[in-house]
Amino acid sequence: MSKAEIDPITLEITWNGLKSIADECFITIMRSAFSSNVKERHDHSTAISDATGRLVVQAEMSLPVHLASMGGMLKAAIELYGDDIGPGDLFVANDPHVAGGTHLPDINMAAPVFDGDKLLGFVANIIHHADVGGAAVGSMSGGLDEIYKEGVRIPVVRLYRRGERVDDVMRLLLLNMRLPDERRGDLNAQIAACRLGESRLKDLLSEHGGDGLRAIFDAIISRTELRMRRAIAALPDGSYSFTDFMDDDGVGTENIKIALEVVKKDDRIRFDFTGTDPQVKGNFNLTFNATQSAICYSLKALLDAEVPTNQGIFDAIDIIAPAGSFVNCVSPAAVAMRANSCQRVVDCVLGALAPVVPEKVIGAANGANTSAVFAGTDPRTGNMYVYLETLGGGMGARATHDGKDGVQVHITNTSNLPVEAIELEYPLRVEAYSLIQDTGGAGRQRGGMGIRRVIRPVDHECEFNGVGERFRHQPWGVFGGAAGKTGAFYLVGQDGKAEKLTSKASKIILKANALAVIETPGAGGYGEASERSLEEIHRDIRAGKISQEAAERDYPQFTAS
Amino acid sequence: MSNWIVGCDVGGTFTDFSATEVASGRAVIHKRPSTPDDPSRAILTGLRELTEMHSIEPASIKRFAHGTTVATNALLQRKGAKVAVVTTKGFRDLLEIGRQARPLIYDLQVDAPPALAERHLRFEIDERIGPEGQVIRPLTDEALAALVEAIDGEDGIEAIAICLIFSYINPDHEQRIARELRKAFPETFVSVSSEVQPEFREYERFSTTLINAFLQPEVTRYMDRLQKEIRAVAPNAEFGIFQSSGGLMSVERAAQLPVRTALSGPAAGAVGASGSGAASKIDDVITLDIGGTSTDVCLIRGGKTALANTRDISGFRIRLPMVDIHTVGAGGGSIARIGTDGLMKVGPESAGAVPGPACYCRGGTLPTVSDANVLLGRLPKTLAGGGLTIDPDRAASAIQPLADELGVSLQDAALGIIGIVTANMTRAIRVVSIEKGYDPRRFALMPFGGAGGLHAADVARALGMKSILLPRAPGILCAEGLIVADLQEDFVINARAELDGDLSVVEAGVSALGEHALSWFTHEAADVESRMMTLHFDMRYLGQNYELSVEVWKGSDQPICPAASVLREAFLAEYRRSYGHCDPDAPVEIVNLRLRASGGLARAKTAAIFREGELKPFDTVDVWFAGEGPVATRMYRRETLPIGSEIKGPAIITQLDSTTVVPPDAVIRVDAVLNMIMELENV
Repeated sequence: MSKAEIDPITLEITWNGLKSIADECFITIMRSAFSSNVKERHDHSTAISDATGRLVVQAEMSLPVHLASMGGMLKAAIELYGDDIGPGDLFVANDPHVAGGTHLPDINMAAPVFDGDKLLGFVANIIHHADVGGAAVGSMSGGLDEIYKEGVRIPVVRLYRRGERVDDVMRLLLLNMRLPDERRGDLNAQIAACRLGESRLKDLLSEHGGDGLRAIFDAIISRTELRMRRAIAALPDGSYSFTDFMDDDGVGTENIKIALEVVKKDDRIRFDFTGTDPQVKGNFNLTFNATQSAICYSLKALLDAEVPTNQGIFDAIDIIAPAGSFVNCVSPAAVAMRANSCQRVVDCVLGALAPVVPEKVIGAANGANTSAVFAGTDPRTGNMYVYLETLGGGMGARATHDGKDGVQVHITNTSNLPVEAIELEYPLRVEAYSLIQDTGGAGRQRGGMGIRRVIRPVDHECEFNGVGERFRHQPWGVFGGAAGKTGAFYLVGQDGKAEKLTSKASKIILKANALAVIETPGAGGYGEASERSLEEIHRDIRAGKISQEAAERDYPQFTAS
Repeated sequence: MSNWIVGCDVGGTFTDFSATEVASGRAVIHKRPSTPDDPSRAILTGLRELTEMHSIEPASIKRFAHGTTVATNALLQRKGAKVAVVTTKGFRDLLEIGRQARPLIYDLQVDAPPALAERHLRFEIDERIGPEGQVIRPLTDEALAALVEAIDGEDGIEAIAICLIFSYINPDHEQRIARELRKAFPETFVSVSSEVQPEFREYERFSTTLINAFLQPEVTRYMDRLQKEIRAVAPNAEFGIFQSSGGLMSVERAAQLPVRTALSGPAAGAVGASGSGAASKIDDVITLDIGGTSTDVCLIRGGKTALANTRDISGFRIRLPMVDIHTVGAGGGSIARIGTDGLMKVGPESAGAVPGPACYCRGGTLPTVSDANVLLGRLPKTLAGGGLTIDPDRAASAIQPLADELGVSLQDAALGIIGIVTANMTRAIRVVSIEKGYDPRRFALMPFGGAGGLHAADVARALGMKSILLPRAPGILCAEGLIVADLQEDFVINARAELDGDLSVVEAGVSALGEHALSWFTHEAADVESRMMTLHFDMRYLGQNYELSVEVWKGSDQPICPAASVLREAFLAEYRRSYGHCDPDAPVEIVNLRLRASGGLARAKTAAIFREGELKPFDTVDVWFAGEGPVATRMYRRETLPIGSEIKGPAIITQLDSTTVVPPDAVIRVDAVLNMIMELENV
C-alpha cells in the first residue's frame, strides 16, 4: 500500500486501533506498578512513535508534560544507536540534557518494533518515579543547584539487548535509588507495557504491512498538523506579547522573567522567548522539550481541545528559545521542579493570546505544581518512608463560569492520595483538607480557590520538603478580573506558634506532632467584579467561599445593596 | 395457583415484560412505550395488557421482578433530595475536591459536576478515628447537640449522609450521630457511610453514601407507591428490585440502599444474556447491546457476569459491586460527520429517537449508522413490526454530502460509517476483555438490543471471534434477565492482614460475614429454593495500592477461610491472568473480604420447544457486504425458522424488533432453544 492509497476510513479505523494499544499499555502500567504515585495518582504516560521517533499516538490519559519527553528520548536513542537498534532491545533513559528528558524522576522506556529487519517504530512509556536518588529524598526538593544533585542520570542505555536482560544496568540503577523494591516493581511494569505494546503493534503490522503502517503514521501526523494549522489560520494575524515572573529558584535568584512574543501569520504561529532571563542555579529550568510541551498544551486548550496529541502539533508551531535561557537550559542546569515553570509558560501563552480568543482564555490558574514530600522512619516498623504529593489549587475563571476550586491545572492532572491511604501507609495524620476562603480572585466570574492541607507526623520526627510558586507573584485576572491569592507554607510547632516558610522549603524538620500547613494559590477572576450578579455573591458568602468582608471590599454592588 | 413470574424492565423508550409460568414453562413477552414522567403508568398498563392478552390470572403472579431507571435518571437529571452531609472536622470540602483531577485535561470549560450537597449543607463535627480504629478525638454530646441545632436551622433537608474518616474500621461515631439525627429528625432519611459501603478510600465511600442519600427520598416514594399499585392488581406478587450487582433485593432493602439500583437496567440485560447463553450451553460470552445512542458491552465467564467495584455514573463516583458494563457512544442513531482533520467520525452525537435517523422520516436529516445500514440493504425497508416506515432515498440524501466530501461512492461512504462504528464497538469490547486479561477469541459474541444483530458479524470478525449467539428475543433480554435472577446480597468487611502473618482478623471477618449471610438468608430469603455463597478477598502485593478481587471459597454453609498457601496461589493465578506476570515471592496482603449470598428462586421448567416446517425465504434483496458490489441476499422471518435449520450466508433474518445480518462467509443455525448460532469462516 502506498501513501496515496490510504483511504480516510482505513486511516480512521487504524488510528483508533493505535490509540487502543497506547491505552492498553497505560492501563497495564497503572494496574501492575507498585507505587502509589502511579497506581493512585496516575503520574505516567504511554505513546507510539514512528521509526524516526516522531510521536504518532498517545494514551488518552497521558500527561502533557510527559509528551515531549518521550519523543525526546526516542530521538536521542536513534541518534546514539542508529543501525545498532535491533529486535528485542529495550531502552531506558531519564536525562534532560543528553536524553531528551525534562527531569530525572521521569524515567522513559521504549522498545523498537520491527517489520522484518526494518525499524517500524517504538512503543514508549514514562513513569514519574517517587525517588531516583540524589541529595534529597524524593528527588523533587527545591534548593538543588546542579543536575548531579537531583538523582541518578541515565543516558539512553539498554535494559534488554536483543531480548536478553542486561542485569548490570538494572543493578546500577537500583543501587542509586532509595526504595529499590518499589522502583523494581515500577520498572517491571514499564517493561511489561513495552512488551505488550510491541506485540499489539505486531498484530497491526500483520494486518497492514510495514509500508501500510508507515503510510498511516505519516498520514496521522500530517492530518494533525493540517488540523492545527486550520485552527491557527482562523486567528487574526498579529503580534501579541506577555511577560510573567517566577517567584524564585530557591537558591537566590528572584523574579525570573519569562518574556513571550507570539507572532501569528496565515497558518503559522511563532513563540519567541527572546528576552527571557538566563537559566538559573536552582532547579526550575526548562529544557526545550519541557517548554514545547507547555506550548503544545496551551494551544490545544485554546484552539482545539480534541486535536490529537502527536508530532503534527509540534510541526505546526515554531519556537524560538535562546539556548542557555530559562526556557531552553543547558547542562548542568538543575530541572527537577520544571512543572512549575511549565505552568508559567502556559500562563504567558494564555496572557498573550487573551485578546485573540477572549471567550476561551481563562484567568491565571494557581500557576504551580505545589509539591510536598514527607520523609522519615516509620516508628511502627523502623522502615524508611517517602510520601510525595502534588496539590491542585484554583483554576482561572472563564468567560461564562467561575474557575474550578481545588483542582489540578493545565499541564498536570494527577489524582490525590486518599487520606485513609496516607494514614494506613505512613506515620502521618492529615488534619485538614479543605478549600481556602477568599483565595479566588474577584471578577464577573470568580477565580478558583486554593487548597489547604495540614499534616502532622505521628510520634516521630520527619523531614518536610515543599515547593510552591505564586507565593509572591499573584495569579492574575483577565479583562478586569482581580488576582487570586498567593500560596504559603507554614510550620506550626508543638507550642502552636506558626512560622512562615519559604516557597522552596527545604529539609525542614517537623518534630513529633508539629504541623506542616500547605496552602496552594487561588486563581484569577474574569471580567470586572462590579459585573458579578448579587445572587452569585450571596451564594459564595453562604457557601463560605468568600467572606462578608471580602464581598464588601471587592464588590461595590454588594455594599450598595 | 400462584404460578407466574413477571419481569418488567423500564427503558428510555420501551417498558418490556417477560413472563413465564413455573409449572408449564410457558413464556410470553410484551412491550409498550415508556412513560418517563411517571414510569409506573406504563408498568401498570403494560401489566394489565399482558395479563389480558395471555389470559394470565393476576392473582397467579407470584413474583414481580423490576428493573428500574428511576435512580439512574435522578442522577442524570440531578433531581434528587436536598441533602446535608456530616463529616469529620477538617474535611467538609473532600466531597467537592474529589480526587482533584479534572475530567478532560485539555478542555478548560468542562468541570466535574458540582457536589450533590451544597457546601453550606456540609457540616463538620469534631471527632476523629485513626487508622487502627482508635479514637483520636472523641465525639462529645455537646458537638452532637450543636450539630442537631445547625441542621435544624436549615429548611427542607430531606436526607442526611454521615461520612467520617476511618468509619469503616470503627463505625461507633457514625452510629452515634445516626441515632441522634434519626431521633431529632424522624422524617429525614439518614445514610451512613459505614453501612452503605464499609471500605477504605474516603472519597469513594463518601460519594457513594451521598448519592445514596440524594436518591433515597425519591426512590423510596416510587417503590412504595409502585408496590402498592402492583399489589392492588396482583395481590400475591412478591416484589423484587434488580440491583446493579446482578440480583434481586426486597423493596425495603432498595429503599435503604437506592444507590444499588443505579445500573439496574443494563445489569439485567447482562444477566438475561447469561441465562440465554446457559440455555444454549455457552457459558463464556461477551455481550453487545446496541441501542439508538449507545452500546453496552459486558464479559460473562463461566456463566457469571464480570463485576466492577467502582464506576462513575453521570460524573458521580460509586463504589459498590456492579456488573461491569462498559458503554460507548455508538448506536443506530450515531451521527457520521467529517472531522476537522478531514477524517470521518461516527458518534458520540446521536440523532436519538427524535428527530432520529434520516431514513425513519421523523424529521432527521443527518447521516446515521441506521441510514448506512438501509443504504447497504442490511436494514429491511419495512421492519417486521410494521410500526416504522423506512425511506432509503432519505438515507441516501443524508449520506451523499459525506460521500462527496470524501470523494467516494455512496455505498463506500456507508461501508465507511459501518467500519468506523464497528471500530468503536470493538474498542469497547477490548476494554472489558483484553485490558482485563481475557482473550475475546475464547468467547462467543452475544448481540442484543435492536441493532445488535446488524453489527455482530463485523464486530466479531474484527476481534477474531468465531461464533455469535443470537438470543431468541434480543429486544427483551433485560426483562428475561429479571425472571431468572436470584435474590442477592453483598457483604463486605475490611480486614487487613499480611498473608504470611497472623490471619486471625481475617478468620474472624469470614465468620462474621458468614453470620451476616445466614441471618440474611433467614430474614430476607426465607423461601428460596437453594443457597449459594461466594467469598472473594481483595488482595494486593504489600505496598501496592490497587487490589485484585480473588475468589477463594464457595459453598452453601458457613464459609471457611482457606489456608494462607491456598490464598497465595489463588492471588498469584489471578495476578498472572490479569497482568501476564507475577512475583511468586513478594509479600501479599488482604484488604477486604467480600461475601456474596444468592438465594435461588423458583424458576420455570424449560418447556420443550418444537418448531418444524420448511425453510423458506420471503424475499431476496441486494445487500452490500464489501466494496465490490451488491450480493443477492435471501431474507427470512425468524419466527418461521425450524429448529435445526441451517442457513448459509448471505442472508438477512428479521423478527419483531431486530434484524440479523449473516454475511457471505458465515453460517447460521437454529438450536433447540430457538437461539441462533452464527459461525464465521476464515476467522
